[in-house]
Amino acid sequence: MSSAARRAYFSSAWAVAWRYLHNLYTKPAVFVPGLIFPLFFLAAFAGGLSSVSDVPGFDYYDFTAFQFCFVLIQASALAGVFVGFSIAGDFEQGMGRRMMLATSNRSAIVLGYALGAALRLIVVWVIITGVSLLAGMTVRGSGLDIAGMYMLGLLANVAALFFSAGIALRFRSLQAGPLMQMPVFIILFLAPVYVPQELLTGWIEPVAKVNPVTALLDGARSLLAGEPTGLLLAYGVAFSLIAVMAVWAMRGLRKAEVAG
Amino acid sequence: MSQESNGIEVKGLVREFKNGPRAVDGIDLTVEPGEIYGFLGPNGAGKSTTVHMLTTLLPPTAGSAKVAGLDVATEGSKVRKVIGAALQEAALDPHLTAREHMKLQTSLHGLPKEERLKRGDELIERVGLSEAADRRVGGYSGGMKRRLDLALALVHRPRVLFLDEPTTGLDPQSRASLWTEVTRLSAEDGVTVFLTTQYLEEADQLANRVGIIDAGRIAAEGTPAALKSEIGRPSVEVVPRDPANRARSQEILDQFGTAVPAARDALGIRLNEGIDELVGIVRAFDSANIELASLVLNEPTLDDVFLAKTGRHLEGAGEADSAEMPLPDGETVNA
Ligand SMILES: Nc1ncnc2c1ncn2[C@@H]1O[C@H](COP(=O)(O)OP(=O)(O)O)[C@@H](O)[C@H]1O
Ligand SMILES: [Mg+2]
Repeated sequence: MSSAARRAYFSSAWAVAWRYLHNLYTKPAVFVPGLIFPLFFLAAFAGGLSSVSDVPGFDYYDFTAFQFCFVLIQASALAGVFVGFSIAGDFEQGMGRRMMLATSNRSAIVLGYALGAALRLIVVWVIITGVSLLAGMTVRGSGLDIAGMYMLGLLANVAALFFSAGIALRFRSLQAGPLMQMPVFIILFLAPVYVPQELLTGWIEPVAKVNPVTALLDGARSLLAGEPTGLLLAYGVAFSLIAVMAVWAMRGLRKAEVAG
Repeated sequence: MSQESNGIEVKGLVREFKNGPRAVDGIDLTVEPGEIYGFLGPNGAGKSTTVHMLTTLLPPTAGSAKVAGLDVATEGSKVRKVIGAALQEAALDPHLTAREHMKLQTSLHGLPKEERLKRGDELIERVGLSEAADRRVGGYSGGMKRRLDLALALVHRPRVLFLDEPTTGLDPQSRASLWTEVTRLSAEDGVTVFLTTQYLEEADQLANRVGIIDAGRIAAEGTPAALKSEIGRPSVEVVPRDPANRARSQEILDQFGTAVPAARDALGIRLNEGIDELVGIVRAFDSANIELASLVLNEPTLDDVFLAKTGRHLEGAGEADSAEMPLPDGETVNA
């Protein structure tokens, strides 16, 4: 790429990101839902329900911190899902075509959405981390541990984003919203949300055992506690999910291009 | 690049939708550089599908198309640099202002930072939206949205411009101002314009050349004048004051031409020779002592051309709505 072409490329990508963020800012209805569930969880558990941690066998150091890890993964994944909503909305509105026509190199559009999604994610992290700290969460992990924990959040975000983008690009309508949201919700709740996996009983126990989110949660919780364990599994699962979802999303992109 | 390469060349273009019709069924057409080409056809004829293929939004199923000398299938990224398009559904974000749309569009096209603001303001001014520039587009009228969409399509000074039904649903005034702008683009800036329409007058008055499309095929192509003269002679409609004279009136008319369908109460013929015969017709009715309530001379229209080529009238020939019913606010039912 010549320097002029490179400038044009990043200019296009930034334009896509700018509109995405501008939308979040002018239409709270697009931004708020992805935050409501995580914040609701924090509020519920930081308060009355924290007596769960008195259950014998619960040996994590801080129940708010324990819940925070779930909220981090949940909020990150939902932020990714809502990027899918934006993509579907843009196609429905015809904005997708405007972008496809105006960008000479279309990968700039993908980069733009990714940029917007990353900035959104940072805002979400700042909010939930701030609320958790205010609620009295204590942190034991080192700086590196914490970075590793947020990294797991980022990977969950990217996997969910690819998943929902794949659906958005296939349906190109906001009506596909529930199809993006429900599976992510379900897989999140089929993980050890309230208590460690060892304390789960009944049908959910074997389900949680094979649920990839469990590995992410365990990894994040061990990092926050400063006693990293199972990281190979956590990162391995995260990257595999992303690889599968990337293929799903790219195929969706081809379908969208061919369908007009 | 030279002006000569600004045309469009389409050969055997086909688009077949999965579980759908053969929306474009093998069309050939040539658009000369700098001309306004009117692509006329009813709802569902395949106009938008053609535009989507020519603008690289949709890959053709078969055939080839070159825009500004570039292949739309293999040189999409180069094509997009030299074309501008205002699609049928003006893709505007109701939450953004006109100026914000300009910011978005100029950045998407990668205009240098210094130029963006200037170019945006210049175009907003050009389409007469300066006063509304900082208002959200959600509150715009249909005409204002169309004009903004046109302005957005021009930010990178395209050499070939695609306008898909730019005036459908607009009031006559907005339509006229859009026509003026399109004419100016072609005449002063040398932009090649490919414009689709369901309106006869629009193709007739605005286009240098017209292609008539019906059910995915080109039914006729040429300058409006050539197409009309190909259909030939004008027609005459008379209404006798006394309905009892209908039969005799028809006999008189038959000497001057061949009968064609006419409005209720009226009798119509296509003249054998031309308008010179009008005098003879008037004299014949006079000497037969038949009083006429009206006598109308109809020059052939593009609708006659459409009728002659497809066996149907253009108006109402579409899938769903009629071209005669513009919906408020520039919305159309055409998908
Ligand atoms: N994405 C699509 N999938 C299936 N059929 C389509 C699609 N787009 C258009 N069509 C059909 O193709 C035909 C031509 O449509 P179109 O090009 O939009 O016509 P026009 O623009 O002339 O009104 C119509 O029968 C329409 O229903
Ligand atoms: Mg159309």
